[in-house]
Amino acid sequence: MKPAPRWVIGIGGVVYLLLHLPVLVLVLFSFNASRYSVSWTGFTLDWYRALAGRADLWRGLRVSLTVGLLSTVVATCFGTLIALALARRRFPGQRALEGLVFVPLVTPEIMVGISLLVLFVLAGIPLGLGTITIAHIAFNISFVVVVVRARLEGMDRHLEEAALILGADELTAFRTVTLPALWPGIAAGALLAFTMSFDDYVITSLVSGAGSSTLPVVVYGMVRRSVEPTVNAISTIILVGTSLLIYGADRVARTGGPRQLRRIACGAARPRDD
Amino acid sequence: MTVRRRILGAMTRRPALGTASLLLPGGLWLVLFFVVPMLLMLGASVMHRGTYGGVEPGFTLEHYRRFLDPLYLQVLWRTAAWSALATAVCLLLGFPVAWMIAASRRHRALLLFLVVLPFWTSFLVRTFAMIFLLRDTGVINSILMSLGVIEEPIALLYTPFAVLSGLVYGFLPFMVLPIYASLEKLDPALLEAAEVLGARPAARFVGVVLPLAFPGILAGSLLVFVPAIGSFLTSDLLGGARQVMIGNLVQNQFTTARNWPFGAAASFAVMAVVLVAVLLSLRLRDRDRDPARRGSG
Amino acid sequence: MPPAGSEELGPIESELNIYNWSDYISSDVIPGFEKEFGVRVTYDTYESGEELVAKLQAGATGYDLVVPTTYSVTALIETGLLAKLSLRYLDNRANIAPVFRGLGHDPANAYTVPWQWGMTGIAWRSDLIADAPESWGVFLSRTLAGKMTMLDDVRDVIGAFLRYRGHSINSVDPVALAGAKRDAIAAKANLKAYLSAPVKGQLIAGDVRLAQLWNGDAAQARREQPALAWMLPAEGGTLWVDSLVVPRSAPHPRAAHEFINYTLRPEIAAAISTATGYGSPNQGAMSLIDNPVPYPAPSELARLEIQKDLGRASALWDEVWTEIKTA
Repeated sequence: MKPAPRWVIGIGGVVYLLLHLPVLVLVLFSFNASRYSVSWTGFTLDWYRALAGRADLWRGLRVSLTVGLLSTVVATCFGTLIALALARRRFPGQRALEGLVFVPLVTPEIMVGISLLVLFVLAGIPLGLGTITIAHIAFNISFVVVVVRARLEGMDRHLEEAALILGADELTAFRTVTLPALWPGIAAGALLAFTMSFDDYVITSLVSGAGSSTLPVVVYGMVRRSVEPTVNAISTIILVGTSLLIYGADRVARTGGPRQLRRIACGAARPRDD
Repeated sequence: MTVRRRILGAMTRRPALGTASLLLPGGLWLVLFFVVPMLLMLGASVMHRGTYGGVEPGFTLEHYRRFLDPLYLQVLWRTAAWSALATAVCLLLGFPVAWMIAASRRHRALLLFLVVLPFWTSFLVRTFAMIFLLRDTGVINSILMSLGVIEEPIALLYTPFAVLSGLVYGFLPFMVLPIYASLEKLDPALLEAAEVLGARPAARFVGVVLPLAFPGILAGSLLVFVPAIGSFLTSDLLGGARQVMIGNLVQNQFTTARNWPFGAAASFAVMAVVLVAVLLSLRLRDRDRDPARRGSG
Repeated sequence: MPPAGSEELGPIESELNIYNWSDYISSDVIPGFEKEFGVRVTYDTYESGEELVAKLQAGATGYDLVVPTTYSVTALIETGLLAKLSLRYLDNRANIAPVFRGLGHDPANAYTVPWQWGMTGIAWRSDLIADAPESWGVFLSRTLAGKMTMLDDVRDVIGAFLRYRGHSINSVDPVALAGAKRDAIAAKANLKAYLSAPVKGQLIAGDVRLAQLWNGDAAQARREQPALAWMLPAEGGTLWVDSLVVPRSAPHPRAAHEFINYTLRPEIAAAISTATGYGSPNQGAMSLIDNPVPYPAPSELARLEIQKDLGRASALWDEVWTEIKTA
């Protein structure tokens, strides 16, 4: 795609700035001496030092990451498969399934939480990390389906059909043509799913058991009563940590990625000469 | 093999992966862990409320009847209006961002990441940071006053502006990511062809970019509008809890009001209304996508 | 092992699961208990007493101790979710001040041990307001319009206006409620917002000059803003008492009882109160705390009411609350 016009970059830039303004504030206040984030009273690293003693926060972070990664991977797989079926196939009840996928998104969280809790209790499933993950997968599938579906709708099908005509079986055509082209959609869906899982409070607090608190559940109390800068400190650490992670991953992908992908995508449509 | 034989073969070949196996894993999960719990709640919505919470046996439609009261319909209407407004603003702000990301070659991953990064902090912490910015003695007012632009602080917090800002802030990635996924596949050759054929920038945008981005726009709009209906914390924290949204209403029924069946009934009524709206808009998309456009070239 | 609720419980278990409000304990209590009794404690927190009740009523298990608010104890007892306390393991309960025994939600003290108590009144900035507030009617006056807040809580807001007109905070009389609704809607125009705990930051900054608030939160905020005062209006207010209870499904009942007994020691109770800023129901703890929240004087007690569960009338109150919020 050509570079975007100037006015688009202008608006985009302003939006990014506004998006990150509260984040900058929050990072700034992780160094503020006052407990109440009301005004700047001095620079301190006390809140970061205090984090060392907060085993509950680190445990919560670990739980959140575990649940987040697990539920994202599973929900992305399930969601992508459903999106493929909805976009590429015809089957009875298709319209109904399309609608059904949206229902989890509109259901108030307390309904989802309470209903799942009742189900777990009736089925005798003990509350804990497992039940939280199950719940997160359930609501994340919808997000993935919607995003991947939108991607599929706009995709050029010529390459896929060409691959099939040239003798590739459906699985190979999918793997070498469809999947690479679909990848941005899948990545976007996964990103969204992880974000939803990482930040969820209501459903998680209802289906969690003793000792399985996620980070938002631990943090909620600290923040509802008085935004303790310790929360700002751990949020800043999360921000810096994920930034470094993504930077590293991007670096790795950059060395081989785009060229390889293009080769794979073209390979199916051209007679192989090896 | 002749070309014709190959084409016929490709068109009639049985799919390697049956439709059922595509749908089974996710579908089964949704049925077990969403549909079944919802059926339980549907049952609860037609039972009597327990005096101290929970439900008591007995069939009644009183809770659905109660929801038809103008008081509650007003709550539903107001929530829908807020969600629609937030969706519109998200679209206006999110489309340029998605375009910017899709058009960028070198910085794409970084830009995508920057869109979601704020959301890996806690929602509450972000919202309190916004409160800090918008307060009477907050950053924005302090700057404006020190610059001499205003004498008295402007009421920014606990206003509709604050609530709208909070909603847009909270839902922007939901709009940006699907539109990006749609735009990213936009073939530059189409735009160049349009330019060569004499179309001006505005016409190129409306005639080429918009239609191709339509699936993403629709997906993004639904992903913002639908969850926004159920949200209420933003209205509470940034709007000063002056209004009750459907989300508040349902929350209250399961807690202070100790009226589970009414909470369930209200939820189902809202879900039904939204579902109808969603299905109608999906029909819009299907009409837009007619067979001649398959493999849009 | 005998289940929770039995008169005699088995030997102390090696684990204990506590589910409490956040910020509602002193940091040395748990480690001290773990060391002395050799029990490993898992401590989870929640933010809403009502969500706790909903979660327990939906069938959640695994918790040995929870801390419900004053009147939600009734809901839990009535739905059969609580175990009777095995009193033979709680000999320290003699330390509980008489004024906190035999309360309405548990007259026989069979299910509850009081944890902390507090009052709901008015916090205000003495440096920004000339005349001290005296009555709940201050919210109806235009003088401080746009600078006042009330708690975002159905019982507290409606209760305040019920007291203003001389009714009980537990009234289910439709006429009294209609009057309270009228007043609340009139007051809403003068309010900046309905804010609960987060109002502290705004009081400290001065954005809000007068707020309906609990005395303990006001005390906490005063540490950063000395000009913050707290008073109980002339018409009276709410006295609330949070209780320690043992769910019937508690997997480690003996450890739960030992913990309750541990926190009933005066020095432990004093530590808890010092950290939270709220009142301790433990009479021995009073002398051990600097600046303790004094027990309500008899004149104050006469004006204080304890919240009761409203039973079926909760739905009526919710309708009034929805009308106030939609106005």
